[in-house]
Amino acid sequence: MNVQIDLSLLYPHLFLLIWALLIFAIDFFMTEDNRPSLGYLSIVGLIITAILSFASDKGTTFWGAFRADTFSLSFNIIFIGSAILTIASAIDFVKDRLKHHGEFYGLILLSTLGMMFLASSSDLLSLYVSLELATIALFVLVAFMKRDLKSTESGLKYLILGAASSAILVYGISLLYGLTGTLTFAGIAEQLNTSFMGGPLFILSIILIIAGLSFKLAAVPFHMWCPDVYEGAPTPVTAYLSVASKAAGLAAMIRIFFEGLHSSAAEWIPLILTISALAMVLGNVVAVRQHNIKRLLAYSSIAQIGYILVAFIAVSELATTSMILYMIVYMFANIGAFIVVITFYNRSGSDEIIAYAGLSKRSPFLAISMVIFLLSLVGIPPMAGFVGKFYLFAAAIQKGYYWIVVLGVLTSVISLYYYMMVAYQMYFKSGDDNSRIKVNPTLAVAILIALAGTLFIGVYPEPVLSAISGASVTLF
Amino acid sequence: MATLEHYLILSAILFCIGVFGLLSRRNAVGILMSIELMFNSANINFVAFSKFINPDILTGQIFSVFVIAIAAAEAAVGLAIVVLLYRNFDIVNIDKINFMKW
Amino acid sequence: MELGVFYILAAVIVVSGLLVVTLKNIFHSALMLILCLFGVAGIYILLHADFLAAVQVLLYVGGVTILMIFAIMVTHQLTGKKIKHYNEQPVPAGLIILSLLILLIVSITRTAFEVADKAEPMPTVAVIGRALMTDYVLPFEVVSVVLLVALIGAIVIARRD
Repeated sequence: MNVQIDLSLLYPHLFLLIWALLIFAIDFFMTEDNRPSLGYLSIVGLIITAILSFASDKGTTFWGAFRADTFSLSFNIIFIGSAILTIASAIDFVKDRLKHHGEFYGLILLSTLGMMFLASSSDLLSLYVSLELATIALFVLVAFMKRDLKSTESGLKYLILGAASSAILVYGISLLYGLTGTLTFAGIAEQLNTSFMGGPLFILSIILIIAGLSFKLAAVPFHMWCPDVYEGAPTPVTAYLSVASKAAGLAAMIRIFFEGLHSSAAEWIPLILTISALAMVLGNVVAVRQHNIKRLLAYSSIAQIGYILVAFIAVSELATTSMILYMIVYMFANIGAFIVVITFYNRSGSDEIIAYAGLSKRSPFLAISMVIFLLSLVGIPPMAGFVGKFYLFAAAIQKGYYWIVVLGVLTSVISLYYYMMVAYQMYFKSGDDNSRIKVNPTLAVAILIALAGTLFIGVYPEPVLSAISGASVTLF
Repeated sequence: MATLEHYLILSAILFCIGVFGLLSRRNAVGILMSIELMFNSANINFVAFSKFINPDILTGQIFSVFVIAIAAAEAAVGLAIVVLLYRNFDIVNIDKINFMKW
Repeated sequence: MELGVFYILAAVIVVSGLLVVTLKNIFHSALMLILCLFGVAGIYILLHADFLAAVQVLLYVGGVTILMIFAIMVTHQLTGKKIKHYNEQPVPAGLIILSLLILLIVSITRTAFEVADKAEPMPTVAVIGRALMTDYVLPFEVVSVVLLVALIGAIVIARRD
């Protein structure tokens, strides 16, 4: 029997796994004062993993079940990047408010590992298993503030809806397997190209798969967990959820639909189109009424996934590139905004938007950073969000989907209103508390990195674009 | 002789029973049990397809093994959260989670 | 003969499944879940999936449902508090589900599956074992990490501190 295992392709994954286990183990031997250093240790591990990802070869191994290509590399960098920013923002938060430091950081690393396997999967089985690895770790992380009722409750809610969506996804996969007789994306594509005709059961299986995955994306109509869980979860976990979990769902969608179900695009494009339009409208309209910054960012993240799906319906090379680019842009802007929220919360203990009044005087740095991140989320030049949205909409226009792009631009205008309400509070209102907020060095560095990413890609996107342009080659 | 359709319809019924429980139950453990029914219906599909579509390589049965393992993992974490909710806050029914809108 | 056994098992599964989601007493629901999962194991035997039937009984009936019963006993203390477990809005939910069911059944009966006429290996353990160690070794290893995460997570959440 021929053994087809080339472990060198998995060095980043194996390294991250061992590092996570080390974090769990080292935790036992540490005194309470030293525990925060586990956070820095995790960041070091993630940076080494990123370097290994760049350095390791591209190729296929494990009898075709694992694939390292530019697509998986791009998404790996997004997952690792958001994990690094999340952990950097979490160190103070964890020290003040959580117990079990080692488990907290270790579970973030293992969740990232699951997402990395997900981006490299080439069949429905490994995709499903790695998706669950990422998700189950997140169930635990959401409920991590055990003394806090909201956190525990949102953990239960996230788990119940997550498990239900996973059951729906599995049922959809089982029908698709029955219709095509195979689990690999390549095999499914081949079946659809040659003999298979479609039919109601095929459409049903696709609907079930989209339903199961759109839970991960937090897209309409499976977004209902999103605001409550974002509000209840520890804020660093919320930041991680809002970016990495969405990116993982997107990677799974692209793998399944662009690679496996590519030739029956006509059947599923209307579904994605509807989800995209609903997400943009509902996310932006409901966000206007929010008083809590985490809930506002939750609804805005629902809208953001709507923008990303605008490009999804184009099913082209440009679509893949633009979605990855936007995910990177979104990572910097959204996690950046959450780091500001965390810094502010560490000091004030409040997430209400009213409490941000007078922030421009208490900490000009935090206020201007927040404005830049929010403007990037709207898509105002010269922030990166403009470049990102430009490519997303260009991909849709290239295929002639004009009205959805018009809708995207119109809803962006609505989003400008509620994002700027936050800026208005910070700059033109004065609060009761006028004491200065000191930003601690780790958080300041994390914010600076997010700012640098947001401004750099906004002004000069070519290096990032050329780095990710190979990502779609393997798909089409 | 039971045909493939027999098994698929049985699994469809079980899936719908599970979804019904998911929508109507208000007790966290009851909801988790409904989700187990949904996982089982998917497994019946997998095993039936495995027998009728490609019996020689048993792909479907292998997927079922993984589904069972993952369902168990999810149930373990879920029940841990249920126990925590009960112990710290005396809550089992989702109803009592008042500020959480479904 | 086989069809008769199928109908008996199907009746057991459907009736006990319905009882799982409708019974007022959560403990009785859990017992019905055990019966239902046994029925599913019977279906696996009918489908010549001997290994899976064993896994179903050992892991699901012996593991998951016992875990559920533990959770019920811990949270209700069985004798003490009254066990509250009621349904909300069963009628609208039931109507939605009924239409979903009809949709599924119509789609299934309208679809012509490519049924292969090959014999399956007996026993299945050898084939499954070999597949888990070759084609599916990567997901198999990833599942071990999933179980590790669930283990650590459940301990972190459920322990007192």
